[in-house]
Amino acid sequence: MANCTAYVFHHISECSCFFLYDSSKVQEEGDLTRDGIYYFSPEDTPTDQQELLCGQLAGVCRCVSELSSSPVRLLCLRKSKYAVCMKDNFLWALSCAGDIPDVSVCDLLDQLIALFCFYSGPVRKSYQLYSKEELALRWARYLCYLQGGYTELHNIFSCLRTIDSTHIDPLLLLKAAVILQACQRCPLVLAGCILYRGRVVSTQMPPALTVKVMVYETQTYSQDFQVTVNGLSSSVGSPSSSTATTQVFLMPTELHMLRCPPVDRACRSHCNQPPCQPSKSHLLSHTLSDTPTTDTDSSSLDPTHYPPTSYQTVPSSPRSSLSDELCFSPSPSRVNTPIHSNLMNQSEYFTPDSHDHNTSNGTNLCAVEESLAGLNIKQDVDASSGSETKSEGLNSDQDIQSEEIKALANGYEQSNGLDNHSDLDNHIKSEENKLDANNHVTNKNAKFQGQTEEEEKTKSKQVNRKLKEKYEPTNTPSPHETLADTSLVPSVLYQHRVKGLVLALLVEPEFNTDPSAREEVHHSSLASLNGLEAHLRNTSPGTLGPPGPYTFAHYDCIQNTLTTNVCGRSVGPQDQALVKATKLVHSHFSHLDTLQEAIVRNASSAVYGTCSMAQETYFLQQGTPVRNSGSPDPQDSAFSLPRKARLRLLKHGLNLL
Amino acid sequence: MKCLLVANESAEVLFYWTDTEFEQQVQKQYGVSQEEGEGLPAFEDSINTLFAPIIISCSTMVDRLMDNYTSFSTENNHIYVLHQFEECLYIAVNGDGDETKEDLKRKIYVMKKLIEIMFGMVTFSGALLRKELRPRDTEQRNRLWKKLRSLLETYSRLRENDQSFLVEAVERLIHPTLCEQCIEFLERRLVQQINSNMDRAGEEVLHAFILVQTKMLAFYSSRSASSLSNSDLLALIILVQDLYPSKIDPVCFSIPDVFYTPEPSPPERESGDLQTLEVPTSDPSAPSRVFLEAKECPMMPHSMYCLSLCPGITLVLLTKIPNSHVAVSAYCFLETFVKLEKRLCEGHEGAAAMRGQPSIQEQRSKLEKFIKAWTSQLQNVWTDFKNKAFSRSGSGFTRDLLPSCRNMKTQLCGVYRQFFATECMGSSQRLAPHLQERALNMVQEKLIHWKDFLLVKSKRNITMVSYPFFFFLTLFPGLIHFIYVDRSDGRMIAPSLNVTDHTVSELGKGPLADFIKSKVWSLVATAQQYLQKGYTTVTLRDGDYFYCYFLWFENETGYKLEVIDIPSSPDDGAPVGMLTCDYYRKLLRYYSKKHQNEVLKCYELFTVHLGVIPSEYILQHCSQLARKLWEPSRIPLL
Repeated sequence: MANCTAYVFHHISECSCFFLYDSSKVQEEGDLTRDGIYYFSPEDTPTDQQELLCGQLAGVCRCVSELSSSPVRLLCLRKSKYAVCMKDNFLWALSCAGDIPDVSVCDLLDQLIALFCFYSGPVRKSYQLYSKEELALRWARYLCYLQGGYTELHNIFSCLRTIDSTHIDPLLLLKAAVILQACQRCPLVLAGCILYRGRVVSTQMPPALTVKVMVYETQTYSQDFQVTVNGLSSSVGSPSSSTATTQVFLMPTELHMLRCPPVDRACRSHCNQPPCQPSKSHLLSHTLSDTPTTDTDSSSLDPTHYPPTSYQTVPSSPRSSLSDELCFSPSPSRVNTPIHSNLMNQSEYFTPDSHDHNTSNGTNLCAVEESLAGLNIKQDVDASSGSETKSEGLNSDQDIQSEEIKALANGYEQSNGLDNHSDLDNHIKSEENKLDANNHVTNKNAKFQGQTEEEEKTKSKQVNRKLKEKYEPTNTPSPHETLADTSLVPSVLYQHRVKGLVLALLVEPEFNTDPSAREEVHHSSLASLNGLEAHLRNTSPGTLGPPGPYTFAHYDCIQNTLTTNVCGRSVGPQDQALVKATKLVHSHFSHLDTLQEAIVRNASSAVYGTCSMAQETYFLQQGTPVRNSGSPDPQDSAFSLPRKARLRLLKHGLNLL
Repeated sequence: MKCLLVANESAEVLFYWTDTEFEQQVQKQYGVSQEEGEGLPAFEDSINTLFAPIIISCSTMVDRLMDNYTSFSTENNHIYVLHQFEECLYIAVNGDGDETKEDLKRKIYVMKKLIEIMFGMVTFSGALLRKELRPRDTEQRNRLWKKLRSLLETYSRLRENDQSFLVEAVERLIHPTLCEQCIEFLERRLVQQINSNMDRAGEEVLHAFILVQTKMLAFYSSRSASSLSNSDLLALIILVQDLYPSKIDPVCFSIPDVFYTPEPSPPERESGDLQTLEVPTSDPSAPSRVFLEAKECPMMPHSMYCLSLCPGITLVLLTKIPNSHVAVSAYCFLETFVKLEKRLCEGHEGAAAMRGQPSIQEQRSKLEKFIKAWTSQLQNVWTDFKNKAFSRSGSGFTRDLLPSCRNMKTQLCGVYRQFFATECMGSSQRLAPHLQERALNMVQEKLIHWKDFLLVKSKRNITMVSYPFFFFLTLFPGLIHFIYVDRSDGRMIAPSLNVTDHTVSELGKGPLADFIKSKVWSLVATAQQYLQKGYTTVTLRDGDYFYCYFLWFENETGYKLEVIDIPSSPDDGAPVGMLTCDYYRKLLRYYSKKHQNEVLKCYELFTVHLGVIPSEYILQHCSQLARKLWEPSRIPLL
């Protein structure tokens, strides 16, 4: 028996494992551990084993955190390691398949929790509003999304998936950026990004926020895809366009950043310039909005982008947009880019698998995702596009599903129907109202809820104070800030899809009740989105360049993107050598700020790694090294790697100088 | 904030050590105040309570998941490292950022090594080890724990300040003529005289060496002796350093005409030079018992005599004790039963279980003789075992034999303990005091004129500016520091780096020297981390400095052998080093599979350069340095 259990667990520890455990549910002697388990993945793990693992880890973490007066962050077992997050009686633990660095697994867990909070709001409240089963679907989706990196490298850096810009006309990127800027000038719009088949084309948001937004896109994309596959939607080729909104929750720092971006803040476009790093600026492309240019140029690019109406609305737009205007002064006269310089300095994006181009990453995700696709989404006919609504074409299963989704998303979902809510105040207090509206569901928890709310209030006060002290100067929020329940600010994510292309905008909550705002955004972007989509669709999928005699990985720390010629899951021995060294050197870099360069060599491979504020690069020269003894030898080919790397990577547009 | 504890499976603390910060933290947390009766037991109780859930969870994880915790880290960067050795769980904690996970793991392994050196084969039996580590008598326990704590602190001090404990290789004093003279003296006069004397009570000096602080002046092993392993030698240096700590305060060099006068020893050390480990005040000439690796038995009992020639210089004698062949037999039997147990556990029965070298059948008559000659203690268990194993009415070689098999193991460890544990040793078993005194006097006389020189030399063994290394500065501009290690004989060379010293080294003192020191320490740690993952060459550009690390193999003639892929060890594997698990010996063994007929040498070089030097020059320096250093490393010392 014991052997059998051990075998099953061996299996678990090999693959990734994630759970959320609420220790407040298990306090008395008679309390069952299973009551505390909110979510456990892999879900087919027998309950007694879930209980065993959760019970032991939660117990030992609690003991350690009491001893050290601080929550446990990382827990290592002989066969696996868990990133741990402990907050308000909750314990999250995530282990990853493969031997990924400590920093990376901790990052992944933070992202996972942040994603959940972004879409569902405070965790405790979510579990009061929704059933465990419903939320389990979400955890599963986010988990899938985060672990679905194309290569191990993507998991190590947990980077954004971006479009392969080397095969795309830079004008298109520019166009995307211009669309975003046009939208940003509409009232109530905070910032946005444009995605194509699950990859970023252009974004105005910081990477951490872009990732969050992308999950929603992937989810709607996979839904669309499913529909298409069933052959029930209108034909694939016909122009179809739909908009949707969903409620999301922003951290105060995120919101603050979106509303009052510092002038030089590098979160405004696809090609960013890092703030306060003039010396490094050559490493990065220029920010479109930073580049002064002439009127004529901009209008020649896409005249539809600057309808005069948007300017007229400027004065009436809320403070946030106003301040945006002030900070970025996005008058047409300043929107343009010297295309040449943009080309030259173009940041690279990793080359995706060729097959991914056909299916997009949406379909890479686990099967469960398809069934989830509709959760928390409402799709509407886009009146102005005049296309058929998709839901009309759905089969009965999907109708039921969408019914469920509507019910489920009740309160969180804002209908596209603009007459539903006329009272703005309603929306300002939307959070409380929604809670009330859902109270019938959670009546039995009413008392409990009351207590927690009080606790939460005091805690959030403390947290806020700490946050003020700690995070005021920076814009990077702590992962655990997410969990300071009441500090999350409801906001709305607007999404406009044109086939594979998605415009996603973070907007103020009032956006939903402001038909004119909505219309304006729609009008200002629709035509150009259609055009952009057509262009991107016709762009030939990038083929991998000749597989040079070297392997490299280049991580852009500012934009959170990875460029590499290591492709796919099946990696050759040389690729593995690069990945292995990258893991080690990356964790070394992340622990030691002053470390700039490293060369590590074993008998069969030598890897060069270099790191600056803005980027991390790893380079491996392929081919068997000439016979050497490993003793100090200036002729050793390993030591010429820095030179080779600089030379070779120039071809990929990467400048290591 | 540091802590180390050893617990057994029933969550009983067998030993613990904490620094004052940790103690205060615990007391604050649990409100254990000194006023509430006796402070000490109360604190021990709270330690017990604090760690019990972790210890119990460990057993559950092992039993039910076949896995175990290896470490925890918290958001405020406290680190917990756990390691289970047989029935003992070791937990090391750091809350002040001074130590990394690797450091803590190493500390655990060192603690285990020290316990093995002190208790030998007794460590094979959880029950017996518990009795040893946690004697019922409070006074005895306090004495033992004080000893163990002091050893641990000594180790930590050496690890933090001494380069030879950083890389875990012995540093020798570079003075070829004197070294040779001393070795000859030890061989021809000292060891011979003692071993031919009637008053040696049956003991025989196997190894003799002279230490100046932590550095080796001369080392001699008699021909009949197994060689002393590097790991044991380093552990013995810790024992000696614990008895006679190196002076942190400097010797006064600046006034050339005044002879060095030893500073008064700390009060507790004043009882005399001939202190010994266990009961220093009552019995100054009693040796301490150490268990060292030998060909015949990995835990061979020896007596160790530490004779202080003057503060800082120590003569160490390791003797073979009468009856030590009992240890060989006991170990041999124990091994047989361990193998039998393993096979029975794996489900083998009958003849299949009895197979193995040497088989239980072969051992049977030897064991009977052994029992007859040495110990009746074993008789009952052995009879029980025989009845079950060999008689018709018994179970034969099946799983049912396991309890008897385990009983035999425990009893054999008990016999070993009875013969060799310190407290059981006859009080008269030692080299006669006058013999010890004579030895001491002889060496004192020999070194009388060298004493001051040696003490200075130990602090400035090699400096970047002194002959024959003065060329470092001219030949290798930009070279700041290096460490060269010969892993095959466990020796190292490095310029002195005495930052605690008041004397000004060429690095100067103060923040820069401290900074360089911290960089050297982290370089070694980093290099070991990469080595553990199979990388034998590492170069790093860190701030204004450039660091290199190389590991390579040569044959005896100095021909550099081709590098091979070294297997990378798992994260929870033993730390890279020589003191604990002798990583390098395993490495050499691994490499020798490819070069079976050659004598293999393994070298390491760590260098720190100024970052402004172009890397081509740096690599050239490293290559030239390795060539230069190869020569002095061949000074005969053994």
